[in-house]
Amino acid sequence: MQNRTSSKFFNAKTLTLMFCFAVIPLILILLAVRPAVASTAKHFDEITFKPLAEIKLPPYEEFKLKNGMTVFLMEDHELPLVSGNLIVRTGSRNEDADRTGLASLTGSVLRSGGTINHPSNPLNELLEQKAASIESGISVNSGNVSFSSLTEDLPQIFDLFAEVIQTPALPQDKIELTKFQTRGSIARRNDQANGILGREFRKLIYGPTSPYARTVEYGTIDRITQADIQSFYQSQFQPENFILGIVGDINPAEMKRAIEAKFGNFKSSTNRSKSVQNAAVRQAQTSGIFFASKPELTQSSIQIGHLGGKVSDRDYPALSVMNDILSGFGGRLFNEVRSRQGLAYSVYASWSPQFDYPGIFVAGGDTKSESTVPFIRGVLKEIDRIRTEPVGQDELQRAKDSVINSFVFNFDDRSKVLSRVMRYEYFGYPKDYLFQYQKAVAATTIRDIQQAAARNLKPSQLVTMVVGNEKAIVPALSTLKQSVKAVDISIKGAK
Amino acid sequence: MARLMNKLAAQLTRLVVFLSAILIGMTIASPALAQSANPSGANPKSTAPLTTPAITPKTSVQPYLDRVVKNISEFQLSNGMKFIVLERHNAPVISFRTYVDVGGADEDPGKTGISHFLEHLAFKGTTRIGTQDFAKEKILLDRQDKLWNTLKAAEKLNNPAEVEKLQAEFKTLDTELLNVSKQNEFGQIIERSGGVGLNATTASDATNYFFSFPSNKLELWMSLESDRFLDPVLREFFKEKAVIQEERRMRIDNSPIGKLIEDYLPAAFKVHPYRQPVAGYAKDIDSMDRSDIQAFFKKYYTPNNITISIVGDVNPGEVKTLAETYFGRLKPAAQKVDRTLPVEPTQTETRTVKLSLPSEPIYLEGYHRPALSHPDNAIYEAIASLLSDGRTSRLYKSLVESKKIALTAEGFNGFPGDKFPNLIMFYALSAPGHSVEEIQNGIDAEIQRLKTDPVTQVELDRIKTNARAGLLRSLSSNSGMASALVEYQVKTGTWRNLFNQLDAISAITPADIQRVAKATFKAENKTIGEIVSDRSP
Repeated sequence: MQNRTSSKFFNAKTLTLMFCFAVIPLILILLAVRPAVASTAKHFDEITFKPLAEIKLPPYEEFKLKNGMTVFLMEDHELPLVSGNLIVRTGSRNEDADRTGLASLTGSVLRSGGTINHPSNPLNELLEQKAASIESGISVNSGNVSFSSLTEDLPQIFDLFAEVIQTPALPQDKIELTKFQTRGSIARRNDQANGILGREFRKLIYGPTSPYARTVEYGTIDRITQADIQSFYQSQFQPENFILGIVGDINPAEMKRAIEAKFGNFKSSTNRSKSVQNAAVRQAQTSGIFFASKPELTQSSIQIGHLGGKVSDRDYPALSVMNDILSGFGGRLFNEVRSRQGLAYSVYASWSPQFDYPGIFVAGGDTKSESTVPFIRGVLKEIDRIRTEPVGQDELQRAKDSVINSFVFNFDDRSKVLSRVMRYEYFGYPKDYLFQYQKAVAATTIRDIQQAAARNLKPSQLVTMVVGNEKAIVPALSTLKQSVKAVDISIKGAK
Repeated sequence: MARLMNKLAAQLTRLVVFLSAILIGMTIASPALAQSANPSGANPKSTAPLTTPAITPKTSVQPYLDRVVKNISEFQLSNGMKFIVLERHNAPVISFRTYVDVGGADEDPGKTGISHFLEHLAFKGTTRIGTQDFAKEKILLDRQDKLWNTLKAAEKLNNPAEVEKLQAEFKTLDTELLNVSKQNEFGQIIERSGGVGLNATTASDATNYFFSFPSNKLELWMSLESDRFLDPVLREFFKEKAVIQEERRMRIDNSPIGKLIEDYLPAAFKVHPYRQPVAGYAKDIDSMDRSDIQAFFKKYYTPNNITISIVGDVNPGEVKTLAETYFGRLKPAAQKVDRTLPVEPTQTETRTVKLSLPSEPIYLEGYHRPALSHPDNAIYEAIASLLSDGRTSRLYKSLVESKKIALTAEGFNGFPGDKFPNLIMFYALSAPGHSVEEIQNGIDAEIQRLKTDPVTQVELDRIKTNARAGLLRSLSSNSGMASALVEYQVKTGTWRNLFNQLDAISAITPADIQRVAKATFKAENKTIGEIVSDRSP
């Protein structure tokens, strides 16, 4: 029998059992607990795998309301829960620079301010009493309003969700509350080195006034009025700008009727949105080291990079394999800068594209002040190497295998699948983009990676941002033979 | 990857995350990776709900919870190792979690950080994984250990010429070692086989190792994870020491909240090892050698001290057979380890820790409370929920919304762990122009109110409904369930308490809350931590 060589502990146990019980139950026990699997421990490279079943998209329904709103429905009856998400075509890049913070403020007060029929406090009580939630927010290139509810409360929660979207109260007191919290966050934004780093690095790449890098200031937040918020809301929250997705324990026919009843009559306002989506993006600083001083630090936080590209770029699949070779577990930076040189706990390099505007290529990490310069040199060396030397066949295979073998995790949760479908719809990507991407990754060659790296990584355009303790950085940043400029991070207009 | 993540750090991350959240979307502080548009990832734009989803009538949710309980099985190997298995077939994936019942609280003074150091080294491979030629490597490793001892001795004798010579020799040897190893091969095998979420955490109470695999790789997990603890090689020890010191710098030395916590814990705990930093003191980490870690591993990584949870698309019978084959190879503990820890004496007066730093003020206070396994645990959870969960919570309504003296104000249990008696904590970030005293008085007013005014039925219902719905929502995450089941198993004696806790919460009365509040929230049971700003205006 295949179980003969099983561990001696098990055999000892079965022997004991044999003396204690009659033979027949024992046989039954053995049959019951032992499926036909190997009983000798194998080394990892001796194990073979059955193929996983082919991945299929869970079915979903898609339709459009007469007012232009797009809807996706996906059933999932595992648990008595329903969640929904409305994506709105908006973003902070649509706000005026002198009112930076307007979109975010609008996204926050939309929910926190309650609705015409359900002011803030009653709305909070109603939702939390039912363990439900409705939340809203606006990021740089999209807005969203989401809900989560038990199935039994769905009709009521869905009504409230529709109210938050269509008849928000946007009251003065909740605007003041959010402004108050925003001012507080401005005051605290220099407390963590990594907060300074990410913010200032983006300003170097996109420019300090770019919608992709500018920051809310006391001056811009103070200028925003209730009228600004109402007008921004009206201009952006139009049904043709809406993509609604609902996933969970729903009856699709009933859900469809509820959506038509609650959203079908929502009309476009004449106050149309403007969009800066196609505004040209150019790299602001194209060389040099920029330094923000925090004399209390014993470690430098560093980012090095330049303007990057979009997810839709032809080179992206090859560049994402390159990311894995550079920054995966046991990738080049992990092995070289972390494990071999012991220079950092956190070190990475990543081609980080965006869906509808150029992203960034960024490398960086944190290292003790004294090793700032060696760390930067170590990272630059790896950036140069990936451009100039072909990657190893084994490195390539590992990176590809990782993407392909973990592909199933893109489908392990239905709300994850639906939110991806909606995202592709929102950004105008093909429905099967993920499968195209997987195919392209599988087809990537050593030559593809080197060419993509040589085309897209531009050592001559790298800018470096360092937050650290200048006196302790020995050798000094100037030994890198680039200009070193101080960055002023003082907070203007503080009261 | 990793690491130091006691509940404290996790909770205080919430604080930092909260700050980021109100920083208008530009903030994602650290790796810019987080900002990239991942073509396959989950919705990156959605706003996380402020609160854990809530409570619902027992009737509608209970059958779903009961069904899950029926799908959970457990077994123990004859070497003492326990397994908990939850079958969930909605996708062909499995999450694994190895819970080793050892953490910062088990460390000897002078050796703080040793659990965390070991956790890092548990990614370095075995005699067959991570090496080009182990026979050769072994000779070099032994030589390196000897050389380290000689070097330390020379340092003590204050012999700089000898030290310099030995250091050079040490460096050469380290390079030779790197050349016979295969760096990070263990993690590479997992990732290239489709593993996701590979990581580990060390806390005051426990060390956890975890990742997820496609469901056809169950046996691969069995092989890799059992080899990892059957046959570990603590290679790259000295390189990793430098990495760990960098991690410490990042999380503690260069973080205002990290610094405050490191000073706060020894004030709150005079005797109990919860006073020790999980990351370890820099000088303790520095002084460690490989044999320290080896001895610690031998003492605590025994099968009776390890519990594994497996959640997802599995056949429990197959799991059991494979577990016997693979993990049955681990030898039972040779001797019983004395795990008794010093008991914290009753506190007799308020203690205060104040740090002056060039950052904005932070206020926190903690009160001693009993362990997770104590019958009053549910009542403490209810108190934290009442004060902290959502926009209806008392601290938010009072300090943020109405008085506008704080940007955020919350409380939580289980700091820095909850296996032993611990702290219920409250913290707040003061608003510009408002003092820490105002915050302190604001929090105190809400805490005192718990003693004098009975909570309303509406509030109590809300807590109960939210607890039930919160558990229901957590069922949709394999890794989340793996983590919760194994934690309850080890800390309370059975995973069933994860579910039974709901009954305990359901039974809470207003009088219970008053009783526990009166017993806990006393000035002599309080430790305060403050960061005051010494930033020049």
